[in-house]
Amino acid sequence: MASLRVRRLLGPGRRWFSETVPGAPSPPASPLYPPVVASITAKSKAAKSRRLQRFNQRVHAAATVEEKLRLYGKLQRPKYTVYPQTFALNADRWYRSFTKTVLVPGMPPRAAAAKRSVATAGATPEAGRAPEPAAVEAPAAVEAPGAAEAPGAAEAPGAAEAPGAAEASGAAKTSEPAAGAAPYLDIGELRSLACDALLQESFYQKKKRPFLYRDQDHTPGPFLTQLVSTLAASLSSRNPLLAACSLDLNPEVNYYWHHGEEVVVHGHRKGRVDPVRFQIDDNPHLQIRVPKQLPEVVPLESDLGDVPVIDHKPSKLPLFKKQYENKVFIGSKVADPCCYGHTQFHLLPDKLKRERFIRERLEDQIEVVYRSNGIASLFAWTAAQAMYQGFWSEADVTRPFVSQAVVTDGKYFAFFCYQLNTLALTAETIKNNPRKNICWGTDSKPLYDVVEDGNVKGFNDEVLLQLIRFLLNRPKEL
Amino acid sequence: CVPGVRQAQWLTKTKLVEGLPPAVQAIVDNPALGLQELEERAKHVVSHARLWDTAEAAPRREKYCPVLFENLIHLCRSMSGKYPSLSKRMLARNCRIAATWERESILLQVRGLSGILMNSMTPIPPVASQEEILATKEHVLETFYPIAPTIDLQEVNVYKELNDTGQCFRDGYPYSHPHTLFFLESANARTDRFRPEQLRAKMLMFAFGNALAKAKALHGNDPKVLEQPVVVQSIGTDGQLFQFMVFQLNTTDLVSNDGVKNLVWIDSDQNLYERAQCVPEVKKRVVVKPAGISGFQPDTFKKFLALYLHGTV
Repeated sequence: MASLRVRRLLGPGRRWFSETVPGAPSPPASPLYPPVVASITAKSKAAKSRRLQRFNQRVHAAATVEEKLRLYGKLQRPKYTVYPQTFALNADRWYRSFTKTVLVPGMPPRAAAAKRSVATAGATPEAGRAPEPAAVEAPAAVEAPGAAEAPGAAEAPGAAEAPGAAEASGAAKTSEPAAGAAPYLDIGELRSLACDALLQESFYQKKKRPFLYRDQDHTPGPFLTQLVSTLAASLSSRNPLLAACSLDLNPEVNYYWHHGEEVVVHGHRKGRVDPVRFQIDDNPHLQIRVPKQLPEVVPLESDLGDVPVIDHKPSKLPLFKKQYENKVFIGSKVADPCCYGHTQFHLLPDKLKRERFIRERLEDQIEVVYRSNGIASLFAWTAAQAMYQGFWSEADVTRPFVSQAVVTDGKYFAFFCYQLNTLALTAETIKNNPRKNICWGTDSKPLYDVVEDGNVKGFNDEVLLQLIRFLLNRPKEL
Repeated sequence: CVPGVRQAQWLTKTKLVEGLPPAVQAIVDNPALGLQELEERAKHVVSHARLWDTAEAAPRREKYCPVLFENLIHLCRSMSGKYPSLSKRMLARNCRIAATWERESILLQVRGLSGILMNSMTPIPPVASQEEILATKEHVLETFYPIAPTIDLQEVNVYKELNDTGQCFRDGYPYSHPHTLFFLESANARTDRFRPEQLRAKMLMFAFGNALAKAKALHGNDPKVLEQPVVVQSIGTDGQLFQFMVFQLNTTDLVSNDGVKNLVWIDSDQNLYERAQCVPEVKKRVVVKPAGISGFQPDTFKKFLALYLHGTV
């Protein structure tokens, strides 16, 4: 009848005047309308953020790591190629701002424990006093409480005390870790191995003259390969990680990331806000990869300094944009069990040799070359390792990734240790991210003075010791 | 065409013995070496070289052959924790070798880049006993009448008879004894690579050249029978097939065709693995061949390691 038709005209949700609603309407079991969200294809900021969210969900939901990496680097756009070995002035400040890295001079304090166990080897009379009774242990323990947990703190009381007492207490304290390590390290034998490698490459083996501008491939390159392979082989008995490691010559390391935002300057996308994209393509001379991760140096949330903030565009460095494949690669594919990095060795090319800088009166830039190489290469390597484990900028790392690097030009060696605490460097994720990546680095020191007549003059044991400490680095369980 | 090894035998006055010498075979069969644990790592090493080493789909032979060699050497070197005398070895790349000798009034010379040479501070002890060496007197070298034995060799006017491995290293080099030569056939195109037979002949000639140069450096240039035979080993591979060779120089008297001969033991065509599949082969939605290394032969790696350890164990 009329009232029925009218009611139908009004539709199911509407009420007629005389009908009263008894209290609140019972809520429907499921929402009647789909949720109101922004469009996917519109040209609006809301649509853009909805598209980004969908992309993030796709990457989160990827089944395998290879699929995740493929989706992460699927979209190709012009990006800045960052070269770790660069002649740009003050490049290390720029690279630190791109990668949110803090530079701490000197080596991390964790290395001090290994140093003491190695130093006691040289000082055999001290080692003779090492198994002294606990009477010496007790005052030493009282003076430096919790020395085991804070090896950095142990350094300070050790240095503050009188040298004689410090030696004895240092030797007594390290009786535990030294006993855990193998019998003492024969520095003389390792030194002779290093000298033999150097002499063979530079003196004994007759080679043709070096090719033009390829001096580094003639002597320093082969010397570095020989040195590292023989040292790694002879130290593998002491470090089970080295016994299971994978030694690669001339591998490839790539990493792609976004950091910051800019406005597109020209082209059909002019005026849009885009993330700034970077890509590092690195070829270290030698790479050691291990199946177990190196232990963390400092906790994940530590703050050891400031990250430089640079107001200019990256192209002022100079950095140039190119569009090509977005690769993330640590040196071997995801299926490799040796997926964590241990140490990398970089050889500086002829273009960046010290004499050139001195000739152009840029002596202060010599150290910058080593530092920028260390920071950029290590960031790329550790970040690629983290991505191989499934972390990315939206899913930040839950444990720090540590790797080491040695940058050399054949004679001068600089040592770097990098701890990756965060991968979240994109414009949205960096807003509430207090974590910073940390890089410890030394200045470059010469390994020897000169090679003459079959003799190596002025061999520097410090550099060799630091190299050995690097190679002996391993997780605490091993 | 004359097969390569037989020609090389005549040119170097050598008797061929199939298989590895008993001293090396004893190292292979020795259980105390712990070769079983190394099998797992050897498999990983092969997978790394053939499958995982590149950002592209599959590495090319120019890349995987040297990488496989480096990885195998790294595995062998890591045994120096157990055998400290292994650290008295040094690898030398791009050595040039030159040696001259006379064979039935034909002057022969071996020259060229002999691949990768591993030197050691101590020489390898002789592999064959005195009786075996004297027994080679009865052996008659195979001739190829009517083909001259110098067929396919390049005839050049040699003005300077260059003669030693000292040509490659200066005097006073502590690692003075050549231990093993490694030959990597890593060219991508099959036509640029040596076939196994030719590779064995090349290995024999270069091992002979190194041994002769060392013998002349130790005992002088006069042709004579050596009291201390010089032993040089040689391994050649194309990334999958391995050729193992142990050469013992018993005499530098090479002009005549009789007398004591040199000895060579050859173990040829040893496969390290059957095939390496980078991407699984799928026919009609069914996986026919899964990805990975199939048919891994641990014996080949054991022989490689035994040749490496020979002389120190």
